[in-house]
Amino acid sequence: MSKLSRKRKQFIFISLVIPLLLLIAFVVFPAFDLFKMSFTNWDGYSPSSKFIGIDNYISMLKNSDLWLSLKNNAVYFVVHLLMIPVELGFAVLLISKLRAAKFYKTMVFMPYIINGVAIAYVFSYFFSPINGAFDSILQVLNLDSLSRNWLSDVKIVNYVLSFVSVWKYSGYHVILFMAALQSIPKDLEEAAKVDGATTVHIFKFIQVPAIMLMVDFVLFDNIRGALQVFDIPFVMTSGGPGYASSTFTLYTIKTAFTFSNFGLASTMAVAIMVLIIVIYIIQNKIIHGFVLKNRR
Amino acid sequence: MVKRVSNQVMKQIICIAMVLIVLAPILLTLFASLKTKADMVLTSPLLLPPLKNITFDNFAKVLTDKYLLLGFKNTGIMLVVSLFFNVMFGTITAFIIERFDFRGKKIVVGLFFIGMLIPTFVTEISRFKVIQGLNLYNTLGAPIIIYIASDLMQLYIYRQFISTLPVSLDEAALIDGCSYFKLFRKIIFPLLAPATATVCIIKAINIINDMYIPYLYMPKNKLRTLTTFLMNYANAQQGSWQTLAAGIIIIMIPTIIIYVFFQRYILAGIAAGAVKE
Repeated sequence: MSKLSRKRKQFIFISLVIPLLLLIAFVVFPAFDLFKMSFTNWDGYSPSSKFIGIDNYISMLKNSDLWLSLKNNAVYFVVHLLMIPVELGFAVLLISKLRAAKFYKTMVFMPYIINGVAIAYVFSYFFSPINGAFDSILQVLNLDSLSRNWLSDVKIVNYVLSFVSVWKYSGYHVILFMAALQSIPKDLEEAAKVDGATTVHIFKFIQVPAIMLMVDFVLFDNIRGALQVFDIPFVMTSGGPGYASSTFTLYTIKTAFTFSNFGLASTMAVAIMVLIIVIYIIQNKIIHGFVLKNRR
Repeated sequence: MVKRVSNQVMKQIICIAMVLIVLAPILLTLFASLKTKADMVLTSPLLLPPLKNITFDNFAKVLTDKYLLLGFKNTGIMLVVSLFFNVMFGTITAFIIERFDFRGKKIVVGLFFIGMLIPTFVTEISRFKVIQGLNLYNTLGAPIIIYIASDLMQLYIYRQFISTLPVSLDEAALIDGCSYFKLFRKIIFPLLAPATATVCIIKAINIINDMYIPYLYMPKNKLRTLTTFLMNYANAQQGSWQTLAAGIIIIMIPTIIIYVFFQRYILAGIAAGAVKE
């Protein structure tokens, strides 16, 4: 018996040692290191750095460009939030009796798997002020008066970029909602019907709770995604004009790799990590608990 | 009856509108890639050029660029090596977490959970130091080891799949004198094949499309991936939209092909990952 348990231990140890070492070296250690670096003025190449206490945290909070960037993140969040009912609608539509439903399902998810950098360039052209396709569409519709510098007008650039983000990511949510709707066992609905439940009852007590868990997930995905928007503004506008379309992550990365202020950038990274974890906990404890309670 | 027909018509109209929104930007890029420089100015961006003017020169120009070939090669190497280790470590880690109790298990599971929660982009600020310390900067090793160590979605898919396999399978094999390694290699691993297919396909798409890690860690020209090739190409082709458009179309093709052929695996895997979370 003890021989078996020794072999068992051996097996567990040998199997886990490499994946765990990799995880610690490349994920867990960097995360803690970020925290440590956030109290220093390290520039990314010097062998030494100075401990400067909470100076980085103070200058982060005072940085108006960073706040502007965070406000831009909020635009992405709100736009994606408004899309949730539309996404839900499409999910319901695509699982209903619909001719060519399979083809539509393929189409709705396709933007999500296409190369993001390629998409960013496609839309740079689409919204380009010179020979841009979008302006031509407006022209055809006799709406040329609406046409403007889509990617350099400070007032609208974030909405244009959010639209690209919606174009790319909404299909993912549609697929998730479809999966949630389809996971409801058919006999559950039938049993409820036999017991005299009306369509409204079924919707309220069976379908809605089943989707709520997924809405919950999509909401978290939206928050996490909105806080981390990076590649679309990075490729399309590199955060410009000025910082008008910068985002928190974009600004953080620039602070590190362009301005060589790794200390301050680490502080911002810590902030974003704390934000995401706090939101995760709030959502898990409060909203999640609330949803599950309602289900019973 | 009439109501049902009009209902179906309404639905079709909405869906076709959606398809148009999805396809239009891509089709317009394709149109541009078939135009000559002159036609870029003379024809509307919404239309194909006159049939006799259609040109494939833009595609020829991109396809003969030596860095595109390098991009295919580097992306291919990254894919094969990362997927191999991801599958190997993913299956065995999930197997142990699902089937064994041991001291420190909570810590191990907790570490992997933290790994999944930590935001990806900003972690590079400190990971950069680790990569440089290991002399991996400007080598293919940098993205490969990062993909292996930090992309953990396979754990969800494998754990979910393993939890559906009967435990009596393990017990019977062990009673027959099978070693743990043999049990894993000969019995569990082959049974995980469908999950492995899902993991490989989804990860392949993620790796091919990833811009950030190759961009950050491999600035060397020789280490272009498909995606960073496109970024460089875009900078070099400023103003010559028709050639860039051809480049864009070429870079899009690999993942679209994977998607069209393996759609079912992809959609199943995507949904499974989310439900578990």
